[in-house]
Amino acid sequence: MVCTGCALLCDDIEVGENDCRHACRIGDAHITSTNQIDPMVNRSPVDMDTAIKSAAEILVSAEKLVFVGFGNLVTEAQATGIELAEKVGAEIKTFHTGIFDDILDGRVKTCTLPEVRDYADIIIFLGCDPMNTHPRLLSRYAYYPRGEKRQHGWEEDRTAITIDPRFSHTASICKDSYVIDPHRQIEFMDALMDALLSKVPKTAYDKKRILKLAGTLKKAEFGVIFAGTGAAAPPRDAIIRLMDRLNESSDFRLLSLAPGYNLRSIAEQLRQLHSRPTDDCDVVDSDSNSGGSNGGDGGIDLHKADCILCLGFDLMNSLPAHGINGKLIVIDPNETLTSRYADVVIPCAAGGIDAAGSAVRMDGEPIELPLIRESGRLSDVAILKRLLEVV
Amino acid sequence: MKLEFGEFLAAPECKVVIVACPDVFRTEAGLRHGKFSSEYRELSAVIVLDPTDMAKIEVKDSDLVEVLGEEGVVIVRVKESEKEHPGIGYVPEGAWANVLGAGPASAKVRRSQQGIAAIEDVYHR
Ligand code: SF4
Repeated sequence: MVCTGCALLCDDIEVGENDCRHACRIGDAHITSTNQIDPMVNRSPVDMDTAIKSAAEILVSAEKLVFVGFGNLVTEAQATGIELAEKVGAEIKTFHTGIFDDILDGRVKTCTLPEVRDYADIIIFLGCDPMNTHPRLLSRYAYYPRGEKRQHGWEEDRTAITIDPRFSHTASICKDSYVIDPHRQIEFMDALMDALLSKVPKTAYDKKRILKLAGTLKKAEFGVIFAGTGAAAPPRDAIIRLMDRLNESSDFRLLSLAPGYNLRSIAEQLRQLHSRPTDDCDVVDSDSNSGGSNGGDGGIDLHKADCILCLGFDLMNSLPAHGINGKLIVIDPNETLTSRYADVVIPCAAGGIDAAGSAVRMDGEPIELPLIRESGRLSDVAILKRLLEVV
Repeated sequence: MKLEFGEFLAAPECKVVIVACPDVFRTEAGLRHGKFSSEYRELSAVIVLDPTDMAKIEVKDSDLVEVLGEEGVVIVRVKESEKEHPGIGYVPEGAWANVLGAGPASAKVRRSQQGIAAIEDVYHR
């Protein structure tokens, strides 16, 4: 079975009657979760047909529509969601997809997770804490396992380093860590870039340590940066500049540690949509790399939207969402903070649990998601298709 | 008569930058017990402070503090940090951190006499 608890999409999960083997804490809780919701309209329970009809009515009468999320939908539901957005003239707002765009556009070098396991010798966790977000990353790929060219694993063959505003759990098991001031991340990145050119950096950070870090990075045979996508990570353009500088003297690849299990797939689909030769649709996609912004990225400000459709995305738990006044429609397998405030709630089966489908792992590998158990719930694809028929 | 903070004296404050951090146990509690459960609330309404900042506002580990952010106020429980990071308060990612504003957000912290509120009482649409 495959776990859809995060974008690692671990494919070695064994689900028994009462246990869930190999999954981490998040995976186990995700697979066994029973926090399901009933269909609701105006916070009162209704039947599914009524909820879908109410959602359709809101979608056709709204003028500034935004669809948010997509990271926790199977690929097929994402495609149907895009079709629905095109039909009703909605903007698609994905969060945390910026680095995927850079990778897909070929602006930075990347690699697969098995390549990390087999070849990586220097691993940087930049503005991320995978022990708390992608718990099996270090044990399956990035640090502990022996690989084809890394037979001695972490003890001798790999050096893992964190650069983060916090001495995180991941930092506590890495060989070195750099705790950076959350307001002076760019200063650190610029100082490191100077040090990579063997210049003494002009910075209030410890110059000797930065020069030592640059020396380590320059010796990498196969370096990998895992970059976070939230406010703890340096801005995306600073990450790309660092990658360019690193690749003048060594060999580094970038992978994005974003929330959600299928964000890479929506980034791929939206990229294809925009490269269609006769692309005359109104669908716009916009990304916020900060995870904390909700409108400064050129698209519709969520505060100005008159309808927000949350697709597998707990908006209120993910962004500072004060003062959002538009109608809220939620399609989600579980009860979320947003569903408590939504005008319409449509429960769906969860991808890879009670709905089969496919997804794209964080490194671009397509993964089939078989069904773990049957339930009576409609899949997100089926719900979006029904909405497509009636709008 | 002994004067208490909140009655006649203003509780001492310290300024911190709020940095939101992921927490695997909190994510697990949200999935297992739900986002409105007491388990999730206890793991979300937390601020990790440096001992020097805790001394400034005269609180100890597990005390409750009021965090006044750029966009809102929350009551959370203090956890004493094992590592030095004066001027920085780590709050688990999610609704409580979001109430304070987009990170890294500036905030003031002071001792509180009130308890931790349910998130639906903190977050208003
Ligand atoms: S690391 Fe991610 S995909 Fe793997 S078991 Fe944990 S939550 Fe599931």
